[in-house]
Amino acid sequence: MDLILPYLATLTIFFFVYNILTWGLNIQFGYAGVLDFTFITFVACGAYFSGVFALGPGQKSTGFEWILGLSWPFPIALVMGALAAGLLGIVIGLIAINRLRSDYMAIVTLATGTVIYGLVSNYTPLFDGFDGLAGLQTPFSQWLNINYNQFTYLWVGFCGVVMVICWFIAQRILNSPLGRTMRAIREDQEAAEAFGKDSVRVRLIAMSMGAVLAGVGGALLMGFIGAFNPAGWTSGETFVVWAALIVGGRGNNWGGVVGSFVVAVLVNEATRYIPPIPGNATLIPTVRNMLIGASLIAVLWLRPEGIIPEARRRFYQLPLLPGRRTPAEGVGSAGS
Amino acid sequence: MPEADAFLRVEHLSHSFGGFKAVDDCTFEIPKGSISALIGPNGAGKSTAVGLIAGALKVQSGRVYFNGQDVTRLPAYKMARRGLLRTYQVSREFPLLTVMENLLVPPPGQRGESLWNALFRPSVGRRQDAALASRAVDVLETYGLLPLRDEYAGNLSGGEKRLLELARAEMADPKFMLLDEPMAGINPALIARLDGHIRRLRDQAGITFLLVEHNLDVVERICDQVVVMASGRTLAEGSMAELRQNPEVVRAYLGGGLDERAVG
Ligand SMILES: Nc1ncnc2c1ncn2[C@@H]1O[C@H](COP(=O)(O)OP(=O)(O)OP(=O)(O)O)[C@@H](O)[C@H]1O
Ligand SMILES: [Mg+2]
Repeated sequence: MDLILPYLATLTIFFFVYNILTWGLNIQFGYAGVLDFTFITFVACGAYFSGVFALGPGQKSTGFEWILGLSWPFPIALVMGALAAGLLGIVIGLIAINRLRSDYMAIVTLATGTVIYGLVSNYTPLFDGFDGLAGLQTPFSQWLNINYNQFTYLWVGFCGVVMVICWFIAQRILNSPLGRTMRAIREDQEAAEAFGKDSVRVRLIAMSMGAVLAGVGGALLMGFIGAFNPAGWTSGETFVVWAALIVGGRGNNWGGVVGSFVVAVLVNEATRYIPPIPGNATLIPTVRNMLIGASLIAVLWLRPEGIIPEARRRFYQLPLLPGRRTPAEGVGSAGS
Repeated sequence: MPEADAFLRVEHLSHSFGGFKAVDDCTFEIPKGSISALIGPNGAGKSTAVGLIAGALKVQSGRVYFNGQDVTRLPAYKMARRGLLRTYQVSREFPLLTVMENLLVPPPGQRGESLWNALFRPSVGRRQDAALASRAVDVLETYGLLPLRDEYAGNLSGGEKRLLELARAEMADPKFMLLDEPMAGINPALIARLDGHIRRLRDQAGITFLLVEHNLDVVERICDQVVVMASGRTLAEGSMAELRQNPEVVRAYLGGGLDERAVG
């Protein structure tokens, strides 16, 4: 019991965080069709900035150096991390989202992410280079006197609350005219422009809102682990989020939940705590990556829309003005 | 300067793909409130001219005036916001949106499209959607598409997609519709209905039309003025009856066959 509960709590935290990440990528790709192949960069941005807002000042003499170091309370640092990620989303979006050549989006995001990765992991005054940030005081510990296990349970609750807020953000965008325009642009960018839609503006909104959720997820990881460094955001991590979204089903947020549970929790995180097999330390990570790849291929073959496909919006979901007849009063049979 | 009654005016428009001049010094004007046609052999550059006018292609040389203003090189979405709407030779519906949703995308001035309203005031978008949906029901009914409202647009038949294209354009409240072969692949009974719709929109909503069309019976029936293009140039302008007397037009197009360049 002493081991199982904290373990389950840890898995729950990862589940909640991956839900937020998958919804973020869903806003970018599932809604607006933006091929963001550097999603993890936004996660890292949220983690780093929440870190340097919450940590004390770094000191070159002690071998730890980073910008800011403001010692702000963690919840505020989290918001700052999310905002920083959102801004980075706009910057990378401006580079990658070009009205004429949308097919280059994927490779440009990847390239930009690689540049940022090289910069952050080598330029130590920013986020302490490859050693990264460390030594974050447990969030809330300035107000509460709790041990580490109690903190883990508290963090489950905190992540839960943040996740619900993110769910509302993602759902409200999806169900608004903005979400409809995003999906129209995803379906046919040129035709949407021919109807007066500014596809660059709308895709930038999707890019930066997805990045905000990514930043929130990164900040939650930072707060939980207390440290963050470049080993934690290699491009393989972007692949995990993509796999979760594709396996679960894009264009709807329940698909994201299923995908993050299957891919990120069951396969990715749960296997992380299996003790390494003696003499073959890389076996488990290798098998894990193969499992994720195989589940992705299986879904694309058997059920390309994902486990939970995008829901068809039926007309009666739209409220009509008073006095209009509704489809229930019989206009003819609905299609299919 | 464009004349007062020319709603759309194209001057010396040229465009080449690589070294190939698809549109070559093309000049014509379309009077306000007219239904005009742009005809010419396959490969004459009609669709390219449509793309240039609508802002989907960047004009290389020449000028486009719309509604008294120079709109050369304005991007497509800005042309649409000024009231010039184009459709495509091959239907470009949003396949994974339902027919109803396809009609709710075009209307201009949707306040629910702002991020602020989407996040914090969803009722703004919902209320506007309710009004747009009732209007869309009327439009769908006019085009006989109401029973298909919940179908994915990608599942419609070719003819139904053409009707959807026009219905969708109508929802955008345009001043000018640039239709690239709206009747392509449509049976005669439906053609009669489509040209009825075009005339209704001109008479009731005052929309000016320019149709690219190969069906000369339709052109003769509904168009006030015809522009003939061949080899990227405007060859002639006038009524269909006048053009039938024009030996150049007869040789280039009415006599049949491909564009000269394509035949060699
Ligand atoms: N993107 C492109 N790249 C290269 N060549 C092109 C391109 N688009 C059109 N062309 C060429 O330009 C010429 C004019 O094409 P366009 O589509 O404008 O003809 P059209 O008059 O619309 O013909 P149709 O009646 O068959 O639709 C053709 O010879 C075509 O091959
Ligand atoms: Mg054409």
